[in-house]
Amino acid sequence: MQDLLQPILNGILLGGLYAVIALGMNTMFGIVKLVNLAHGDLMILSSYLSLVFIAWLGLNPFWSLLAVAPVMFVVGFLIQGFLLNRVLGKEMEPPLLVAFGLSIILQNSLLLVFTPDARSLMTDLSVKTIPLGSSLNLPVLYFVDFLLGCAVILALHLFFKRTYLGRAIRASSDDEVGARLMGINTRNIYAYAMGIAMMTAAVAGVLVGMTFTFYPHTGPQYLIIAFGVMIIGGLGSMAGCLVGGIILAEAQLLGAHFTGPGYQLLCGYLVLLIVLGLRPQGIFGKA
Amino acid sequence: MADRPFKYRWWLLGILFVVLGTIPLWGSDYMLLFGLLLCLYMAMSQMWNLLVGYSGLLSLGQQAFIGFSGYTVAVLTNYYGVYVWLSVLIGGLFSVLLALFMSLFIFRMKGIFFGIGTWIFAEILLLWFSNWEYVKYGTGLFIKPAPPPSMIMIFYAAFIMALGSLAVVYLILRSKIGLGLMAMRDNEEVSETIGVEIFRSKLFCFLVAAFITGTTAGVLYVFQIFIQPYKAFAIDWTVILVFIVIIGGIGTIEGPIVGSFLYVLLTQWLADYGHTSMLILGLIAITIMLVAPKGIMGTLQEKTGFTILSPRRI
Repeated sequence: MQDLLQPILNGILLGGLYAVIALGMNTMFGIVKLVNLAHGDLMILSSYLSLVFIAWLGLNPFWSLLAVAPVMFVVGFLIQGFLLNRVLGKEMEPPLLVAFGLSIILQNSLLLVFTPDARSLMTDLSVKTIPLGSSLNLPVLYFVDFLLGCAVILALHLFFKRTYLGRAIRASSDDEVGARLMGINTRNIYAYAMGIAMMTAAVAGVLVGMTFTFYPHTGPQYLIIAFGVMIIGGLGSMAGCLVGGIILAEAQLLGAHFTGPGYQLLCGYLVLLIVLGLRPQGIFGKA
Repeated sequence: MADRPFKYRWWLLGILFVVLGTIPLWGSDYMLLFGLLLCLYMAMSQMWNLLVGYSGLLSLGQQAFIGFSGYTVAVLTNYYGVYVWLSVLIGGLFSVLLALFMSLFIFRMKGIFFGIGTWIFAEILLLWFSNWEYVKYGTGLFIKPAPPPSMIMIFYAAFIMALGSLAVVYLILRSKIGLGLMAMRDNEEVSETIGVEIFRSKLFCFLVAAFITGTTAGVLYVFQIFIQPYKAFAIDWTVILVFIVIIGGIGTIEGPIVGSFLYVLLTQWLADYGHTSMLILGLIAITIMLVAPKGIMGTLQEKTGFTILSPRRI
């Protein structure tokens, strides 16, 4: 039992990171029913952007967020405004395929610019731990991931509840025609929403960059994690994001604990399939 | 439909296949390679088109069948000395078994979730095979059939798959199942109330696609003589199929033929540019989706009513 505590604690903390990875995609799914297949790649793009700002301005990874987040907002705004809005409609496939094309373009552009080498965002937090009793340690970086993840979820929740733009986004999502009659430019609103989703992806990208190594081709791996979180937690639910993230991370870490590190991802996927089979709408989803 | 002006439309297809089928008689080795790749992509993209364009099954996991069947061929020929074409056929049958097993889980999902489900299965297979000693982990296997088949044999195997997949799609769409599928594509609830057996039709298409995709992949790996999990189960396969079908025209029978031709041509041209070629493919795919979302053949059909193989009976 004693040696189980460490993977359980790490799982909870990692769950916070997984939640913020999924948050942007989940938000966009909730608003425009769009599954952004390029989400993982856009997140990795922000990791690389952070790398550039760190090298250029000599910033600490956390401060680089102040530069990366606005850039990603603009990127998201442009992608939604100029690409995805034009193919939104009754059918599901066109926006999906545009996002898929975007993902290919992003991966290969990153490969051209940054070479296939593994990168990471250096920080002195990564080796620090706080001892909690005899055999249990709190990894500081994971703890920061968790706290920032929760903070972003809370901030997004307040944004949707309290601000005009947040209410406008929710109105456009609930009833597009009604919102237009009230004088809301819904297409513009979707572009803002994507920009905000990309800001959460920027946070996720920087955190992932500090916690793990990344390559130009790691995007799809995080896309699958984001899907896992969305599906386990329930579509469009923010609390579900956190719960889904924790369940997925626990499945992976406990699975790795019992069966060996080679099977870490496999255990996560198996739990995901079980949830999909038993409760396709997710734990917090409405049937 | 305006059938008159296109009286000779069948000839077009006939000539195409005669030209393709006689490449070994007149073409160079390079032409043979080109024809082989064309046939392989035609067969696989035709199946993806059947799933996505007609059955509403958005599969992002075709690589599961490609890799699974490829490994079946490798294991059977290497470890058991099974005759090469028999093992290709068994590879196709194993793909069907895999598809049946997958359907237990993923046929409860719809739309994109179905897609993610298939993708996750492919990822699971990737992890499983790269952790499995029997298939030498991630290092991969060489496929060494005892009497090695000649290039011309492999070409004709691929040719049969291309022709076969076209015939199968045409026959399915002209059958009762095809009518049901098209009714379902237009309005799922209404078609169900008038008696279309949605679940069975979809499952049937899924299994057929698994068989033909698997068998074609078997031929592909007999040609490539080397299989490795990170390549065989890679999402890149689906990317290629998406590209081919989008460019050619989703939901048209001729689309995958045109798309495959353009894809093989483009990759041959761009072969020297490495990753830039994927970048250009992505750009082309997005542009087509924005400008002509129905692809080349779909737009042509809309504008002129030109079709070679119409699923319509009237």
